[in-house]
Amino acid sequence: MRAGPNDRVRRQLMRDAVSDNLETIRGLPPRSVRPVPRAGGVWTRRLPLLLIPVTLLGASYLVSEPPILRTVRQPTAAVLHTAMIDSTEPVKAAAFPLAVRRVILDAGHGGKDAGALSSSNLSEKEITLDIERRLQALLKQQGFEVVATRNDDRMIPLRERARLANSSEGDIFVSIHVNSLRTHINSHGIETYYLGPTKDPLLTQLAAEENGTSGYSIADLRKLLDRVYADVRRDESHRLASAVQQQLFANLQTIDPGLENWGIKRAPFIVLVATDMPAVLAEVGCLSNEREAVMLKNPQYRQQIAQALFRGISEYAKKGT
Amino acid sequence: MAEILHVGIDLGTSRSAISASNGERFVVDSFVGWPADMVAKKILKRNVLIGHEAVANRTMLELHRPLERGLLKEGSDKDVEAVRELLRHLLGLVGVKKNGKVDSGNVRAVVGVPAAALRTNKQYLRNSMKGIVDSLMIVSEPFAVAYGLNALLHTMIIDIGAGTTDFCVMKGRYPTEEDQRTLTTAGDSIDAHLLKLIEERYPQANVTMFMVREWKEKFSFVGQPPQRAMVTAPVKGVPTELDITNEIKAACETILPPVVETMLDLLSRVEPEFQERVRNNIILSGGGGLIKNLPRALEDALKQVGGGKVTYMEDPVFVGSDGGLALALDAPDSDWERLSA
Repeated sequence: MRAGPNDRVRRQLMRDAVSDNLETIRGLPPRSVRPVPRAGGVWTRRLPLLLIPVTLLGASYLVSEPPILRTVRQPTAAVLHTAMIDSTEPVKAAAFPLAVRRVILDAGHGGKDAGALSSSNLSEKEITLDIERRLQALLKQQGFEVVATRNDDRMIPLRERARLANSSEGDIFVSIHVNSLRTHINSHGIETYYLGPTKDPLLTQLAAEENGTSGYSIADLRKLLDRVYADVRRDESHRLASAVQQQLFANLQTIDPGLENWGIKRAPFIVLVATDMPAVLAEVGCLSNEREAVMLKNPQYRQQIAQALFRGISEYAKKGT
Repeated sequence: MAEILHVGIDLGTSRSAISASNGERFVVDSFVGWPADMVAKKILKRNVLIGHEAVANRTMLELHRPLERGLLKEGSDKDVEAVRELLRHLLGLVGVKKNGKVDSGNVRAVVGVPAAALRTNKQYLRNSMKGIVDSLMIVSEPFAVAYGLNALLHTMIIDIGAGTTDFCVMKGRYPTEEDQRTLTTAGDSIDAHLLKLIEERYPQANVTMFMVREWKEKFSFVGQPPQRAMVTAPVKGVPTELDITNEIKAACETILPPVVETMLDLLSRVEPEFQERVRNNIILSGGGGLIKNLPRALEDALKQVGGGKVTYMEDPVFVGSDGGLALALDAPDSDWERLSA
């Protein structure tokens, strides 16, 4: 007997429910926080803007050609759109000189999750929240819209942070953290991460620690990362990371000449993987270094860090417009 | 031959229900409590109390509602343990032993959870429920309701629970983000509002949230009052009759604007040719669906977009767990084997 349309829909929905659960068992994030490969999210919404100059260029080209060529059908926007999406060439970030209006700020850790601790019990969660609040004020003064993933001392799961960032449709995502090195307590420096693979076992370990509350393994994330390496978001994230790191180091070195520049690095932190927009994670100091821990306790130094981050974001935003 | 028990569980913020393939159905309040100290343990003679018993003995307990505001708090061991105790209790009611088995057989469970929990806590929820049954499938509550009612195409489910109001448009596919919405305006927010209004009107009255919740469940309405809402509460220690009709109306009507706005917004996103069919297939489920006159109020709001029909479940208690059970029975053995928990 042939099944009716309703039975087919029922069976399909049941299969979908099973497959959704199997994906969870495999460790994939919920569909809502998964990065949409290539054709998705913010960039899809912005792509039509790119079509305007392309279409105009195409039109002027047709006008300048000999009469015989004018019979060639002008490609429709839909055809152009499909052609661009299907291209295997990575899209250049320079093609998207778009404004930054809404900044998502993410103060690392919180609540039960204190993050790194100094020998005097100064916690990473406390420092990151204070810097985030200062940075938020600076950005708002300059007319940026700001969405914070947390405004008080509570634990927000990493997936929830990513979900908030995506649903808020932020233009960029900046996560603030403080380092702690178990084996090199005399070292202190700053570094900024953007999304990408790493073969460095120490970085993998760091990412695993920061991703600890997510429930997903690094190996699982690698599968996801394969889809986002070569896209615009990676290039933009790289550019944002460069601007932030450059400003952090240039500004903080004047206060602390011994500060080391550890540069920009790629790592698969959850908040970088699961967000749709250009995203960076800045390690703005090092709590395992006792001298720096004392500085990080000082509100004026935290203000300097916030200002340096603000300059980095502004620098990135200026170049984009 | 090994016996297999299929169960559908509606793990709600306020109440949780179970429907089993052996015909058993039970509902319990979603409260789990542990004796607060040794004295309480000695009096209660139990390590953990669930449901109504927990609420009744709450003064001696450390009381938990594991899915408050529709989410399982990550990092809270007590909340995870509360979910596990609640599930074990429900399963025990339908004959599942403490080892998660029935006599010489296995247990396969479909658990419906608030949509918000599914979006943000799915992995965590699954890990929390590990080992309680042999095979486990977790779905969103409105999806389970739609599946159970066979309302799979051109239908909107509005599930008004305690912690959240979940909206889901069924388009004949597994609901995606754009098909669903969650509001935290729900039963709990009505309770909080009602308590505030009663305290303002009767400042001398001694009223608790638990009393308010019972009154709301008995008298809730929007629009014209179907009856006077008369309740008894101690005022300076003397039981006194209070008229809370206006307060009930005001508190219940707080959910109307956000629910109407979200319903219309979701409708506007449905493909134009199907909008009328969806407008005429709106189903209210969850305890909030029993607010008197609510379907009519929503139908009034639908008039601005061409009118529509809102129906409600007269017995919403088991609609989610029955949907879960239907899903559990429909899934083939091969899928259940892959979903071992």
